[in-house]
Amino acid sequence: MAAYIARRIGQALLVIWLAYTLVFLAVQLLPNDPVTIFLSADAAASPETIAAMKAQYGYDQPLLVQYFSQLTGLFRGDFGYSLASGQPVADRIGAVVGSTLILASSAFVTAVVFALIVVASATLIRITWLKRLIINLPPLFAAVPVFWLGLVLLQVLSIQLGVMSLFPDGSFASVAVPVFVLAIHVSAPIAQVLLKSTETVYAQPFIDVLRAKGASPSWIFFRHGLKNAAAPAMTISGITVGTLLAGSVITETVFARAGLGQVVLQSVTAQDVALVQGLVLLTATAFVVVNLVVDLIYPLLDPRILKSGTHGAPRALAA
Amino acid sequence: MGNPTPPANRRSQARLGIKFLTILGVATLALSACGSGAHAPGNAAAAGSESSGPVQGGTFVYAEVTPINNWQTQAARFYEKSNVLNSVLDRLTYFDAKSGKIVGWIASDFKANEKQTEFTFTIRDGVTFSDGTPLDAAAVKENFDALGLGIKNAQVAPNVDFSAYKSSEVLGKNQVKVTLKTPDANFLRATSSVTSGLVSPATLKLDNAGQSAIANIVGSGPFVFESEKTDEEVTFAKRAEYKWAPQTAANQGAAYLDKLVVKYLPEVAHRAGAVQTGQVDLVRGLQPIDEQAVAAGGGQVLPAQGVDLTTNMAAVRIASGKLADAKVRQALQVGIDRQSIKDTVLSDSYVIADSVLNHAAPGFIDLSADLAYNPEKAKALLDEAGWKVGADGIREKDGQKLELTITSSNNSVVIKPAFELIEQQWREIGVKLINRAADNTFLTTAMIDPNIEFFGTRQFAYGGLGPVFGPENNTQTLNADPELNALFAKERAATTDAAHKELVAEEQRQLVTEKALSLVLWDEVQVYGGSSAAHVEFTSGTAPIFQGAWKSGK
Repeated sequence: MAAYIARRIGQALLVIWLAYTLVFLAVQLLPNDPVTIFLSADAAASPETIAAMKAQYGYDQPLLVQYFSQLTGLFRGDFGYSLASGQPVADRIGAVVGSTLILASSAFVTAVVFALIVVASATLIRITWLKRLIINLPPLFAAVPVFWLGLVLLQVLSIQLGVMSLFPDGSFASVAVPVFVLAIHVSAPIAQVLLKSTETVYAQPFIDVLRAKGASPSWIFFRHGLKNAAAPAMTISGITVGTLLAGSVITETVFARAGLGQVVLQSVTAQDVALVQGLVLLTATAFVVVNLVVDLIYPLLDPRILKSGTHGAPRALAA
Repeated sequence: MGNPTPPANRRSQARLGIKFLTILGVATLALSACGSGAHAPGNAAAAGSESSGPVQGGTFVYAEVTPINNWQTQAARFYEKSNVLNSVLDRLTYFDAKSGKIVGWIASDFKANEKQTEFTFTIRDGVTFSDGTPLDAAAVKENFDALGLGIKNAQVAPNVDFSAYKSSEVLGKNQVKVTLKTPDANFLRATSSVTSGLVSPATLKLDNAGQSAIANIVGSGPFVFESEKTDEEVTFAKRAEYKWAPQTAANQGAAYLDKLVVKYLPEVAHRAGAVQTGQVDLVRGLQPIDEQAVAAGGGQVLPAQGVDLTTNMAAVRIASGKLADAKVRQALQVGIDRQSIKDTVLSDSYVIADSVLNHAAPGFIDLSADLAYNPEKAKALLDEAGWKVGADGIREKDGQKLELTITSSNNSVVIKPAFELIEQQWREIGVKLINRAADNTFLTTAMIDPNIEFFGTRQFAYGGLGPVFGPENNTQTLNADPELNALFAKERAATTDAAHKELVAEEQRQLVTEKALSLVLWDEVQVYGGSSAAHVEFTSGTAPIFQGAWKSGK
């Protein structure tokens, strides 16, 4: 077990470092440097001003020097300076990360609950037309664009009915509605994968054995079916971190909420390189940590993973 | 206010009642479609008390387009910033759009020497910054140094409108004399700009991050920072002891409003609804299609004329070579049917441009005769320039097709559809336009890429047209034209009003007609939506004047 955990953590660190390095290199391919871009947004700055500012923020150094000084800066907690927002990257991200965490984690929990309800009712309900309807819900959820759903809900709830504010005013609705919008979208792949793997599990002989022994349908589903079907859905849940972030860019814009999504949008449009790098690092870390947690839970669900030595097996299955 | 809402609501609610879950999407779509012209009731009481004077008190909610974080005052060349800082910072002078004259503000008096190289400002007595520091001659000198020379320690670049600045000295307690390196007849006007707003010496001493935070920006204006929720809202409170408004301001005292709350509505589709439902008192960036809905719903459509800016234009870059010949640019200028742009994508709030300056700007000349739509003349000019129509209808010369690219930000709500129309109009004269307007990611690099032929924009022109089109790296033409720069220098050095006016006229003729480096479109205007209770006017830079604003029936 210890070796398994150590290997997973080592891989996670490697992924983060690679992501950071790749972004650093990608940024160098851009036709302009951050200082020129920042100053061009204002009226024409003189070449001397541009040169002085480049020197101030170290953008005039050779690439390798820039790379290592930025990398060592990370260990000191220095993520660089965001020119466009006029504050250190850590401050800029720190000021809004909480808002996105609340949105994303609530949306994720809600999405998992949605998915469970859909799969449980699709498996347990006997009425054929209703069952078919429920099975078709996840594709519908996946097909509804986040921004459209958000716009329609705001149009109806805020502008037509006047029951919620267009702005994040701290009321229950101003939190619940964006969470709902994001959750709908995120729940779709989880529900789809869970449905599919439940079907696969239900096709196995042990389910017939359970039925023959007289177990009730809900007992079979909750005690045996769900546990066996959970692994692929968990993998997908880990991957939804990306969907959550992409979804929060849109949700936060539509609902005028502060958050990482807005910061991503602003930093990319302003090509605020230091900020983009900080965000990529944060996203990569979040992605890797969540997937690490998923990997560490697998052995609890399926002890065979530790014995077989083919650690990637359940993930390959899900993919 | 006979409105179509109730039947529409009842209908779709009834439908919702009987049909099932899958129908929900369709129903809500129908509901929102029916409701685009509808509005919530309420706010009707306000209209009655119209004739009575300003009402004291209340909180005014203003919705800007996008949140910003870098509030450094000298770089306030974006509306998101200048619209707010206008109520936080005072300036030495004020441009009174009604009379077209520069009047006193913090400077009670000002005069220039004949050569326009020395300017003496007399500072009003008793003005203080909100931190208690006196706004005296010494503070003004510190501000001038920051504007003219930049602030090295804080990496703040000098203000482009102050490029002629050399030094200033304090004469006695309340006089400052500014010396310029070269004459600048636009210098006084530049002191009226939001970007030259006066800040407390304490603010100027902060580092870059310090000066970027709105909480640290200490001015002498009618509103003072109170609190902030990052990316969501900023709250300002009125300064009760304020009594130094511009000489021509109707309200010479403190603001009527108690509080000003700035919020953000990045989603353009919600702006009309926000004022109709009274959730905000004022919103910037109303789309032409929403104007009727706002007016019909009892709200106000408030076009603010941007006299301080150039007109909206496609600024021309000649580096790709395709537009190097002035004839080609002149052909494109008369190949635009401006009336049809107004009829199709704009509204009554917009005025077609007749020059690179707005109609109300000092020195404006009417070039409408040269701008009349004339596709036959355009074709003839292109033929003369050697661009022949190819097999696909697009002109070519030396194996190169006349394909041109436009970039612009998405801040203007009308710029993309306008260029879509121009794309069609130019197709008729054999020119292909690649429309990348409103693509902000493309803009970041395209704005400083001289091979991108057009930059769709308008710029603050407090320092005249020189700073906008002159410098080598000016974002409009990305090129220093020696003839134009000689003309700009001559204009800045003009010693009489009449001579200055004639030279400004010549600049417009050169930019629009002769060199055709600015394909002008419509006068700059920002269309605001106001709730029925809002009473607000705007500066010549389109900023709302919150000091004079009030709400009826608050």
